[in-house]
Amino acid sequence: MAKEKKRKAAEEAVDGDDYIEREDKKPKKQKLILASQIKNKEKRSAVYAKLKHEKRVEKRKKIKARDAASKQALELGEEPPEKMVPRTIENTRELDETVCRPDDEELFAGNDADEFSAVLKQQTAPKVLITTCRFNSSRGPAFIKELLSVIPNAQYYKRGTYELKKIVEYAKNKEFTSIIVVHTNRREPDALLLIGLPDGPTAHFRLSNLVLRKDIKNHGNPTSHEPELVLNNFTTRLGHRVGRMIQSLFPQVPNFRGRRVVTFHNQRDFIFFRHHRYVFEVKEKKEGLKDKKSKASQGKTEKKAIARLQECGPRFTLKLVSLQHGTFDTKGGEFEWVHKADMDTSRRRFFI
Amino acid sequence: MPRTSTVESPGCPPLRALTTDSLGLIKVVEVRGKGGGTPQVVETWGPPDASRSVLATSYADRKKDPVLAVARKNGLIEFLNPLKGDVLTTIKASESGSTDQSASANDLLVGLHFFKSKQEDSSSMLGTLLTCTEKGKVCIRSVGRSDAPSDQSIDSPNEWSVTNGGHVLCSSLDPSENYALFGGKHVELNLWDLNSSKKIWAAKPPRPNNLGISIPTWFTASTFLCKDDHRKIVAGTNQHQVRLYDITSQRRAVISIDFRESPIKAVREDTDGHTFYVGTAIGDLASFDMRTGKMVGCYKGKCCGSIRSIAKHPDLPLIASCGLDSYLRIWDTNKRQLLSAVFLKQHLTSVVIDSHFTAQELEGTKPEEPTSQSEVRDQSDQEGNCDEERSRKSKKKRKDAAGKKEKKMKMHDEEQISGIEDPAEKDWIDELPISKRKNHSKKRGEKQLD
Repeated sequence: MAKEKKRKAAEEAVDGDDYIEREDKKPKKQKLILASQIKNKEKRSAVYAKLKHEKRVEKRKKIKARDAASKQALELGEEPPEKMVPRTIENTRELDETVCRPDDEELFAGNDADEFSAVLKQQTAPKVLITTCRFNSSRGPAFIKELLSVIPNAQYYKRGTYELKKIVEYAKNKEFTSIIVVHTNRREPDALLLIGLPDGPTAHFRLSNLVLRKDIKNHGNPTSHEPELVLNNFTTRLGHRVGRMIQSLFPQVPNFRGRRVVTFHNQRDFIFFRHHRYVFEVKEKKEGLKDKKSKASQGKTEKKAIARLQECGPRFTLKLVSLQHGTFDTKGGEFEWVHKADMDTSRRRFFI
Repeated sequence: MPRTSTVESPGCPPLRALTTDSLGLIKVVEVRGKGGGTPQVVETWGPPDASRSVLATSYADRKKDPVLAVARKNGLIEFLNPLKGDVLTTIKASESGSTDQSASANDLLVGLHFFKSKQEDSSSMLGTLLTCTEKGKVCIRSVGRSDAPSDQSIDSPNEWSVTNGGHVLCSSLDPSENYALFGGKHVELNLWDLNSSKKIWAAKPPRPNNLGISIPTWFTASTFLCKDDHRKIVAGTNQHQVRLYDITSQRRAVISIDFRESPIKAVREDTDGHTFYVGTAIGDLASFDMRTGKMVGCYKGKCCGSIRSIAKHPDLPLIASCGLDSYLRIWDTNKRQLLSAVFLKQHLTSVVIDSHFTAQELEGTKPEEPTSQSEVRDQSDQEGNCDEERSRKSKKKRKDAAGKKEKKMKMHDEEQISGIEDPAEKDWIDELPISKRKNHSKKRGEKQLD
């Protein structure tokens, strides 16, 4: 059988070299046994421990070599070898054509024309109405209390048995600029509905990972100064729109003396909410401990200004489920963006 | 059933589409190159201004003197040359004859239809126009060109009211342009004869169900089903129902289909007279066959925003859909597959396809072509030359499956170019390079081994 195979191989191979290579490869073939295929636990764990040790030794060698090479390059005055950047999902995100460009005139025109421009241009002050769904929830009231302290000029109204469409009308009459509905599922706040008024878009977010102020260690107490707003990473057109919607909840004149900052950080379509108080401190950096590695000359104390953060307020995560064009009307309304299951085909595609 | 056949190379055949959006911009998207090109935005017309947001469009898809009529939110109706983008004339939506100015200020235009076939005197008159406002005021008037002498007598506009209460949301003109259809919120479908300005048919709401509950009337999209037949009407409602009405048989809907759970925002008939396409407010696009009353299939392509408008290419098996997610998508109707999507940055309100676009026009003299064509058009005595030029180029462009041609009605352009012989009908697929059309169409047995 083997001889026949060899003959066939000889016929098929175009190059004489190919044939020779094939013969050479045969004796080198070894059977690799995976540690996971050994049935005996003692033997298996011993083999695996050995494997791990080998890998660790190899890794340490690599790091040492890398450090030595960079040190040598620095001493010689050459450029150190390039630092290796780990590959992350954010690094390898799919190229999105909907990303906002800074030179896009249409974007600015669209911003001027959209529903939030009145608030964002400070023509009207934001006025927020917070309410809940009809069901009771254990952490809901505490969450709403904290939301009231985070968002200035927010008012809480009990839900009663009013229909949401009626509540929207009522809020329009009272000149509110947005409504927040905290929706509850299984007695836990589960979703956030952000309705812009008078005919602004409705954003439906799913709320998760809620941590209340009392559960945060060493939390701070927020003051009533207007907070600064930090919106990170809202790059696409949809993200830009959602970012502007969130921005329209807060007044546009932050009080910097209050040293209060609210952050909405978008990463992989999850929006992380954090609320901090910060303080600037001047820290004196003493030499001595890190003498061997630092390049700086000895005997100097360097002064650095550092910002220290103290977290206050709730901590939660939002994920956009749908963005509807008008006010709340799930049955009869038009959707600008809806999450559909067949959008999730790629692990490296994000929409916000 | 899972999809058993796919379009191998999802590129578009040469086509040109114009889209309008909520900032008043008109974007021209073209696909160049014969073998599966990607669409690109070629031109953008108009300054971005929200008060000039486009409410309704009508495209006179003629070879000679095509006109794109656009109704804007600030009350103006503009007529543009779709090849160059220059404004031919602008008129005000509200006529000077209307008595109550304050009422008409809030009355937005809902429907706009430009009569394609009625064109008596091309030098001074642009054509006739049918407009319909939200409160039901319908007006037919003739539009003169901006450079026409002002002492030309223009026919007095013909106005009437379609409904007392309720809002008109959809209107449609039948292809023979003798009948017009109106429907809306609390407005039942009405069919009017335009020559006599009389209502010849009105729909009746469906019977209340066994609990005695009747659904309020709310038509959001409507169209005539056949090109040569004004008697069959397809309408979509806010309650996710699609209904077929037949004027000759009864006033109630003949067939009523429930489609998913969102309001039907756009309905477009196919050229074969029994298929139509439906787009909903959540982004679902599907095609239905009215002979059986069943859905043929859904178009899956990650469309996540409300579909505002669907346009069918008169010759090729293509549809274009645009909507609030700011994408213009081009689909193949045979395989129900997405051919390509273009991101257009604004909420799109309507799309029209220019069927007289050929790739031949672009080779070499691209910047000169549009100007020379328009020059030719302006001079009325050179109409004959223009026809021949267009016909030479559209000869190669004429591509459709042989089977469909029997069912199709004669197009306008075919009528004009009667004298020229037709070369062998070519499928646009045949123009693709061989490597790309490996597994395409026909039978699976013919698949080539590679």
